[in-house]
Amino acid sequence: MTENAVTPGAAPILRLRGVGRRFGGLDAVSDVDLDVGPGERRAILGPNGAGKTTLFNVISGDMPATAGTIEFLGEDVGQIPASGRSKRGMGRTYQKSRLFLGLSVEDNLYLAVLGNQTGHLRPFRRSRDGDIRERARELAGAVGLQGKCDALVGSMSHGEQRQLEVAMARAGDPKLMLLDEPASGLSRGERVALTDLLLELDPSITLILIEHDMDVALRVANRVTMMHDGRKIVEGTPDEIRANDLVHELYLGGRVAGAEEDGA
Amino acid sequence: MSARRPTASLDRGTAAVLVAIAILAPLIFNTYWIGTLLTQMLFLGIVAASLIFLSAYGGMVSLAQVALYGIAGFAIGNLTTNGNTKGLNLGWTPLAAIPVALAITIGLGLLFGALSSRSVGIYFLMITLTFSVIANLFFGQVTSLSGFGGISGIPAPGFIGNVDHHPDRLYYLALVLALLVYALLRYIARTPFGLTLQGIRDDPVRMSSLGYNVTLHRTLAFGFASFIAAIGGVLFAYWNGHIDPATIGLGATIDVLVVAVIGGLSRLEGAWLGALVFVLINNYAQRIGFVSDRFHTLIGVVFLVIVLLSPDGLMGLWGRLGDLRRRGERPGQAPTGGSERGSGELEPTV
Repeated sequence: MTENAVTPGAAPILRLRGVGRRFGGLDAVSDVDLDVGPGERRAILGPNGAGKTTLFNVISGDMPATAGTIEFLGEDVGQIPASGRSKRGMGRTYQKSRLFLGLSVEDNLYLAVLGNQTGHLRPFRRSRDGDIRERARELAGAVGLQGKCDALVGSMSHGEQRQLEVAMARAGDPKLMLLDEPASGLSRGERVALTDLLLELDPSITLILIEHDMDVALRVANRVTMMHDGRKIVEGTPDEIRANDLVHELYLGGRVAGAEEDGA
Repeated sequence: MSARRPTASLDRGTAAVLVAIAILAPLIFNTYWIGTLLTQMLFLGIVAASLIFLSAYGGMVSLAQVALYGIAGFAIGNLTTNGNTKGLNLGWTPLAAIPVALAITIGLGLLFGALSSRSVGIYFLMITLTFSVIANLFFGQVTSLSGFGGISGIPAPGFIGNVDHHPDRLYYLALVLALLVYALLRYIARTPFGLTLQGIRDDPVRMSSLGYNVTLHRTLAFGFASFIAAIGGVLFAYWNGHIDPATIGLGATIDVLVVAVIGGLSRLEGAWLGALVFVLINNYAQRIGFVSDRFHTLIGVVFLVIVLLSPDGLMGLWGRLGDLRRRGERPGQAPTGGSERGSGELEPTV
C-alpha cells in the first residue's frame, strides 16, 4: 500500500466548498466539501448514481457547478472553462473512453501534448512537431503501448484504450489527475497491470480516482471519500473505510442493523 | 463519432498511371472528351473534394459547397464582364478578378462557418442547406448582381484564351489545380491544423478539455474548404462562360453531394472518381431516348446501388477489392484485415 504522502497542514491543491450540480429537479451533487492535498491519492467511492462522475465533470470544468466554490492551486477556477483548467494543470480521463478513434495512438497523444501549447491553427509542419511526437511516443511507452504507436485507436482492445486514456491525461504534465473508473471493463490481469501503472505514477502528481473495484481503489488510494445520493457521507483512510458499517451497507451490499434508511 | 480514418487506398503505381493518363489525355481522347467531360470532371471533383475534406477530416457534411462555388463564379462574372444587361459590369482584367473572387468567397465562407460551426450532424446539414438556398435566391432576385438570366460572356484569362478553340489549356489548368488541391488537402491533414480537425471530428468534448477552441477551428476549416470550392467556381466560370442561379440551385447542390457519396465520403480521391462517373452518366444517359428525361431517376438508381453495395462509395469498393487481392496472394493468412475498417465505416458521418 502507498504510504500517505500528504504533508499535514500543507495547503490543499484542490479545495471544494458547498459544491452542487443540479439537473432540473435533480441534485446530482449537493453540498460537497473536499480538500485534497498535494501528492495525495484520493479514491472516491459510491454506488451507481452517487454523483461521482458529475463531481468530476464539475471539477474539470466539463460542466459548470450550480453551487459552491472550486479552488485549484489556491485560485478560484469556478468560472474558468475546461481548457483553462487543463492549462493550469488538471488532466482527466473519462469513464467511457473519449479517444480519437480515427487516429493512431501517436496522433492521439500528439493532440494531447499540443493541447496545452500554442500553434493549434498552424497549417504547416515544423521541427517542433518532431519534439511533440517524441514526447507522444515517450508517453505511449510509459503506459506499455510503445509497440502500438501507429495502431488505429478504434481497432485496439478495450484494455489498451484504457491505458491510452491514462497516457492522454498525463500528456499535459498535470499536477492533478482525475481518473474516472480507469479499470472499468478490464479483465483481472489488465486491472492488475493498470493498478501497477497507477502506482508507478510520479508521486508528486495528485490523483483523484473514481473506482468501483475496491481492490484497485484501496491499493492505490491513501484516503477515501464515500459518496451517496450526491453527498459526501464518509471520509477516511482505506482501513477506516473498510471498517465502516455504513460503507458496508451502501456499497458492499451488507445489511447493518440500525443503519439509516436510504435518503429518499 | 465514427472510427473512420481517411486513407488513400490508391497505391503509388495506380496513382502514377492515372496521372500519366490525365497528362496524356489530349492525345488519347477527342476534343469533346477533353473540353466537355474531363474538364468538368476536374472542377466538379474540386468542389466535391472540399465537401469530402470537411466530411472526412472534420465530420461536417456541408451542403453549402455549391453555393460557395457559385459565389466565386458570380464574383468572377460581375468583376470581368462588360455590357451585360444584368450584373455590375465592372470589366476588370480576368487575372485581377481571381484573387478578389477568392477573397469574397473565403470571407463569406468564414461568415457561414461562424454561423454554423456550433451545430453538428443533421442541424449542420440543415443550416448549410439554408445557405445554399439563400445564395440561390439572392442571385436570382438581386438583379444588380445577376438576376435569373445570369451573366454571360465571362472571359477567361489570356493564357487560356477561347475555351472552345483551345480546350486543352483550360483542361491542363484544371488538372494542375486539381492535383495541387489534392496534394494540399493531403498535406493539411498531417499538420497541427488538420490533426486538430480530425480530433474534433472524433471527440469535440475531449478536444475542448485538452485546450482546443473547437468552434474557432470548425469555422476556419469551413473557410478553408470555401477556398477550395471557390477554385472550382472560378474554373466553372471560365469553362461555361456563363453563370446563372440555376448553377447553384438545389439540384446542383444535391448533384455534388451525390458525386461525393458515389466516390466515397471518406476518401479525397473519391471526389474525382465520383465526378467522372457522374459526368459520364449525365452526358451519355441523355442520349438514350428512354432515359434522357429520366436522368435523375437513373443517377438515383446508380447512387442507391453504390451506397447499398459499398457505403463508402467506389473508393471503398476499390479498397475492399485490394484487400481481397492481397488475401488471395496469401491463402494461408486468416482474413483478419477486416478489423481495421471499423464499424463506423458503415455509416456516413452526418
